[in-house]
Amino acid sequence: MTVEEKKCHDLTIVSINGSLEASSVPGFMKSSPALTDSQSIVIDLAGVDFLDSSGLGCLVTIARKKREQGGDVRLACLNEKLRRVFEVTQAFRLFDIYDDAESAATTAANK
Amino acid sequence: MKTLIVIREKDYGWLSPFFPGVNPLVMPVCNKPFIEFLIDFSILAGSSAIRIISDGPLNEVERYCEDGSRWGVDVSYASILGNDSIETVIEKNRKYCADQRLLIISGYLFIRYENRQELRHCFAMASGGTLAENERGSIVLAGTPEITGQLPAATPFSLVEFDSIDNYFRLSAEILKEYPSPYVLPGYCNEPDCHIGRNVVIGKGAEIRKPVIIGNNVQIMKGAVVGPSAVVGSNVIIDRESTVSRSILLDNTYIGEQLEVVDRIAAGNILVDPRSGVSIAMEDPHLLSSLPGSAHIGSGLFRYLFHAIVALLLILLLSLPYLMLVPLLKIQGKWKTGSFTFHDIRQGKNLRFVMPSIADEGGIGSLAKALSLDRFPMLFRALAGTIAVIGSFPVEVSHRLEAGYAATGYRPAVFSYAEAEDWPVNAEDSAIVEQFYAAHGSPVRDMVLTIKAFLNRIHSKVQ
Amino acid sequence: MDFRIDMSNGQPVGIASLDGRLDAENCGDLQTFCQSWLKETSRLVFDCTGLDFLDSSGLGTIVSCLRKSLEQDGDLKLAALSPQVSMVFELTKARKLFSIFPDADNAVRSYASGDKA
Repeated sequence: MTVEEKKCHDLTIVSINGSLEASSVPGFMKSSPALTDSQSIVIDLAGVDFLDSSGLGCLVTIARKKREQGGDVRLACLNEKLRRVFEVTQAFRLFDIYDDAESAATTAANK
Repeated sequence: MKTLIVIREKDYGWLSPFFPGVNPLVMPVCNKPFIEFLIDFSILAGSSAIRIISDGPLNEVERYCEDGSRWGVDVSYASILGNDSIETVIEKNRKYCADQRLLIISGYLFIRYENRQELRHCFAMASGGTLAENERGSIVLAGTPEITGQLPAATPFSLVEFDSIDNYFRLSAEILKEYPSPYVLPGYCNEPDCHIGRNVVIGKGAEIRKPVIIGNNVQIMKGAVVGPSAVVGSNVIIDRESTVSRSILLDNTYIGEQLEVVDRIAAGNILVDPRSGVSIAMEDPHLLSSLPGSAHIGSGLFRYLFHAIVALLLILLLSLPYLMLVPLLKIQGKWKTGSFTFHDIRQGKNLRFVMPSIADEGGIGSLAKALSLDRFPMLFRALAGTIAVIGSFPVEVSHRLEAGYAATGYRPAVFSYAEAEDWPVNAEDSAIVEQFYAAHGSPVRDMVLTIKAFLNRIHSKVQ
Repeated sequence: MDFRIDMSNGQPVGIASLDGRLDAENCGDLQTFCQSWLKETSRLVFDCTGLDFLDSSGLGTIVSCLRKSLEQDGDLKLAALSPQVSMVFELTKARKLFSIFPDADNAVRSYASGDKA
């Protein structure tokens, strides 16, 4: 799994490539300080080909911590496979999900 | 042109309490799932792509519509949050919405039209704006007209009042009567007002009275009378000498012998009087009950075997500590038992059983809890196959709806999948894990997760 | 299950109030009670104001109570059926066997006037 970071309208977009699962979650959490601070971020999931329940747990936990501190997490570009995982687990109820990372960042910045 | 169909849970809130097992988006109206009427409309209006958007579950919709290839359009899906404005919905689907005219159907709407040809014309010429609207939703068009010309004086479609069980009931009857119908209804139809599906067995002396629509895999037994104005879904049995008229029978329903179903909606064991909105869940399987859907038949035997084996192993492992510790706990008054009723979706009925709880204040109580002795009696249920070894926490029947469980992901069990993982902190998280494994489970994985859940409980007590 | 004798018509009419659920678990009780009620009078009224649920064994018991009272030249009239319970009567066509009244008073009065409802 690789993690890329870029800035868009002062917001960090974190893009994940590879699989987000029990074994890669600890590495992912350490990959960027943006994941643990209080600032809002966009997580671009376009390159994620596998997500298990620990991976979901990691996204839920990041969002919860950020929301407690006034920030938020927006998810972008869920592919078919991921959307199904969010669908069956009903995790879609917990996130703002965009089909475009830039649009997610733009509207978050304007809020 | 592209279409966004935006339907929120609150839009169909009036319908969901009646039929908890049916997603209102695929609720049959004259045996045709609700969403297909909107898809038909979008296609007739000239859409080549349709995105179905909701803040609620779309599983069943997706299972039915798939990628839309059967209608020759692209159907895709997206999730939103309950209080997103329509602007936010468009923002969330920016990539999809870009560069094309956009038709936005918002709300749980039923759209009436008469002439199929007129629609495309009207939409091609219409300039942007709200084309139709009522308190339940709207049809909005954005973008410039494709062709110029004289619009018809009246819009060739209108919104039907569709916000109560009575409306639903009357609408079904109306559509059934209409001939020729602008909406293509499923089933074989070689004469007006009569649609019959595949594999329909009609017994000796049974009467079918028009107008009527009957789904697939239906048995109408000896001497039964079906119709007039009956909508019979798929996988339905109407037993001997029963009458079904001016009524709707949803899929997977059994109607017992010598009954009279008039002005009613029946779905499984639920009977609704649409006029008054009163409904009753029948508990006599020989009167009214739900039939297993075709998808369930034969599946799960292998899984059951695995679960039974795991249950047996745990029983063997725990019986000695159980026999030693529980009498002590009982003496100390720390072993409490409570009666508990939960709904078994698979069998479509309520099951009542006794579930112990352990007052946990160190000492033997903690040890017993670490060893999951409070789950011990439930293991026998798992051995018998009434519940699974690992799945969801059994939810008290009265909490079932509030808990928002998807009918598909809920499988009551001795241990919860959530207990096999470390991260869940609240019921919402647990539900995510339970539903993840309910969809991505396998017998072997269940076995591993059961052991993990069991060890996790020991671990959490040891710490 | 409350039972009282009403003498307002000059003749005894037994009024029994059913409440809660009437199902396989407790319909035996009704059967027994009914037998003792019939010793006092064969004209019965079941006041169903508090009856929320009825299954087929409960229904069967009520029908057998009706049969027994008819055998003694009496009748069993029903009053104040809830919409749910009423639906069970309609579904099984048992409704046609009974005289059904909106409330117990009407049912009692009907014994005096000979109304069949």
